Amino acid sequence: MLSPRGVAAFAFCGIAVLASSSAFGEQRTHTVTIEGMSFSPATLHVKRGDMVMWVNKDLVPHTVTASDKSFDSRNIPAGGSWSRTATRKGTTAYVCAYHPTMKGTLIVD
Amino acid sequence: MNSSKTATLFAMAILAASASAQTTAPTDPQIAAIVVTANQVDIDAGKLAQGKAASKGVKDFAKLMITDHTAVNKSATQLVHKLKVTPEDNPTSQSLKHGGDENIANLKKLKGSAFDRAYVDHEVAYHQAVLDALDKTLIPNAKNEELKALMVKVRPAFVAHLEHAKSMQASMGK
Repeated sequence: MLSPRGVAAFAFCGIAVLASSSAFGEQRTHTVTIEGMSFSPATLHVKRGDMVMWVNKDLVPHTVTASDKSFDSRNIPAGGSWSRTATRKGTTAYVCAYHPTMKGTLIVD
Repeated sequence: MNSSKTATLFAMAILAASASAQTTAPTDPQIAAIVVTANQVDIDAGKLAQGKAASKGVKDFAKLMITDHTAVNKSATQLVHKLKVTPEDNPTSQSLKHGGDENIANLKKLKGSAFDRAYVDHEVAYHQAVLDALDKTLIPNAKNEELKALMVKVRPAFVAHLEHAKSMQASMGK
């Protein structure tokens, strides 16, 4: 459990990284690798308008399904991928609908 | 025989088989047979459970087992063909097959929530036993690097299935 100060420091780091990595406001594409039954990175910070691509490198199918149902890739076969543009600011937790132990977080600033 | 007793006996059988296989390390053709059989028995149990399970969660899990273990076996079969290895029956693969047959015979006698519980109990024991076999016998003894790499790659799926089955087991209560 992070302290309030820890949360603030974590959030600040995220903003600092984001500011340096997308200084020109162009749409960037971020990749989340699905491998070994996990999302990597498990937490991804992006700017609104950025593209996020999930690439399934496992032998089994997966999904990228928002816990609040705001997005759902449906079936991503082995070797397949799914992309979406981050349109809504905020933090969204997501899971693989097939494998509930697989959890990820998308943070759109 | 109650379900947890069957599951325990199954786990003991596979562990005993892998322990005896350990004293005479399995060859790659034997490991290939163990991998293919391990996946096949869980596909067979999944097919029974998909039709017979009472709860949606258990039905969905059974469907997932069919999908995932079929995918793993497809890769294993492709690799075996590529490497020109002929899977060779051995005490561990035979014990797996026997345990799988006993499980199905036991499950066929059950209905409703008793079926769900017995299936899930067995899935927990099965995935734990296969993980133990992967870690103690199969991965350490594989000579071919691609065969070893395939088992390392599929190991996390067995871990995820085990956790998934354990969480269903916990939600069913005692």
